[in-house]
Amino acid sequence: MVNSMKLKGKREKAFKASSIIDIFIWIFLIIAAMYILAPFVFMFTASAMPASDIMKMPYRWIPRDFYWKNYWQGIRGNDGSFIYLRNILNSLIVASTVTATTVLLSALTGFGLAKYQFKGRYLVFMMILATMMIPFEVIMIPLYLIITKLGFQNSYPGLITPFLVSAFGIFLMRQYFITFPDEILDAARIDGASEHMIFRKIILPNSIPAIATLSVLTFKSQWDNLLWPLLVAQSEEMKTIPLYIVRFTAEKHTDEGAMMAVAAIASIPILILFFRLSKYFIGGAAIFSGRKG
Amino acid sequence: MRGRVFKRGIEHKKARWGWIFIIPSLIFFSLFSFYPIFNALYTSLFRKKLLSLNPPRFVGIDNYIYLLQSPEFWNSIRATVVFTIGTFIPMVVCSLIFAIFIMSRKRFQKFFQMAYYSPAVLSSVVVAAIWLLILDPRGLSNQLINFIFHTPGVDHKWLASSVMVQISTMLVYFWKYVGYFTIIFLVGLASIPQSIHEAAKIDGVNAWTGFWYITLPLLKPTTILVSIMSMLQCLKTFSTQYLFTQGGAPMEPINVITLNLYYTAIRYHRIGLASAMSLILFSMMLFFTWFQFKLSRSDEVSY
Repeated sequence: MVNSMKLKGKREKAFKASSIIDIFIWIFLIIAAMYILAPFVFMFTASAMPASDIMKMPYRWIPRDFYWKNYWQGIRGNDGSFIYLRNILNSLIVASTVTATTVLLSALTGFGLAKYQFKGRYLVFMMILATMMIPFEVIMIPLYLIITKLGFQNSYPGLITPFLVSAFGIFLMRQYFITFPDEILDAARIDGASEHMIFRKIILPNSIPAIATLSVLTFKSQWDNLLWPLLVAQSEEMKTIPLYIVRFTAEKHTDEGAMMAVAAIASIPILILFFRLSKYFIGGAAIFSGRKG
Repeated sequence: MRGRVFKRGIEHKKARWGWIFIIPSLIFFSLFSFYPIFNALYTSLFRKKLLSLNPPRFVGIDNYIYLLQSPEFWNSIRATVVFTIGTFIPMVVCSLIFAIFIMSRKRFQKFFQMAYYSPAVLSSVVVAAIWLLILDPRGLSNQLINFIFHTPGVDHKWLASSVMVQISTMLVYFWKYVGYFTIIFLVGLASIPQSIHEAAKIDGVNAWTGFWYITLPLLKPTTILVSIMSMLQCLKTFSTQYLFTQGGAPMEPINVITLNLYYTAIRYHRIGLASAMSLILFSMMLFFTWFQFKLSRSDEVSY
């Protein structure tokens, strides 16, 4: 009797301690989430406010009404050239082309490395993996010289060529294909399918998750790319979104609201992509830590 | 006999197709990865100027000697190392804490994952632009700090003082990537079999001991991965510093190697010098990676 009462008291104490920790964890997570999300809210609310409201203390989190002029000003640019529209188009062209070639070439190479026995296969794979160690910053100057020699500076081929295929993509695709059953491929061969037909008709349709992961990651990294376009795109017509934002921010008379409008326009496509395909974004982040390979 | 020949024929044909599939990428990597790295090594031994008509002059290791004697370059090394250490250590620790806390929740796991990850999908330039306004003297950061410490009207000079601007770049980078590494830790945590935790619970291990002696050692591969990945990323940081300096922040405290490299190559056209700089950066990355591996291995002995 006494014993059981003691036990009950102990349990209640334990319950209290754990519920305090529980509440602490909730508060911690919520404060952290506020720190993470507040700048997003700031960007979108500020993009809908006149500059005088943005820089007012304390900051009012709710715009009085939607101040469209910021978006107009951001798209028009300070000089009224509407070059931002062209730059958005450039970003779309570069990011989609790079995504398409990266997916195609990575899948092709990954398939070759995963499903064909040939001498030097392992060596080739290791060499490709080794290129992942080389930071872009180290090879960008030689790359720039190559691109100049090819006559590609200040053009789409110049922006695209160094990113046609990625070692990471090949790695991802190979890991995915290696579990693909050989029997299916052999069955197709017996039925008379050629190797490239196998790749087109069997491999590609059956690797949608890997392709989707690689696509969103490649698209995102190109949408974000700053350093390379900074070297290659010299004229305003060839610049991409990040370069426009840099220029717009550095201009003396830039209005804060217009600056956030420009930032919001640049972010909306990628955020929509993220909300629709978050599975692939998050899966992509976790590829290296997976225990499979 | 015929069967064997037939089979060998198929294998032979398959090998050929294997090569056909990998040849395009192989050509690409030779041209755009292997050749450039050797070219960078070669160029770093020359005094070479972009757009210059004079032929490059062989100077041996003079570029390296020049850099290692230049106070400006040492300032860049200092800026890079300070930024890296000040960013990646808090990032690894906090992302681990976030991951463990999220893992312990029964509800809203998905929400927190998405929320914490979301800054990683934004362009770094967009991120820097947002924070440029938040860190403005009239911006949210001053308002928040002054609200917490009851010091109305104090300007903390986030973008003006040389110490604060370094902290600001760290804060921005931390904000962008902490969620990304949280996700990696979450995957690592999820791969620890549930039965181990249950066994520990039955043995009467409390949460803290369980975390310290079971979860953390089992999570070690992930921790090593995250710390190396985040460290390498920090060493390569460019966008935040670039936009901050373009937006009017002082250059000197945040003149990281990549920024210095960019200006040396593009503004001053000194390609040889810039190549030497990039190779010093590369060797720093290799050294720190090796150092971390070594550190983690010496840890292993104690278990």
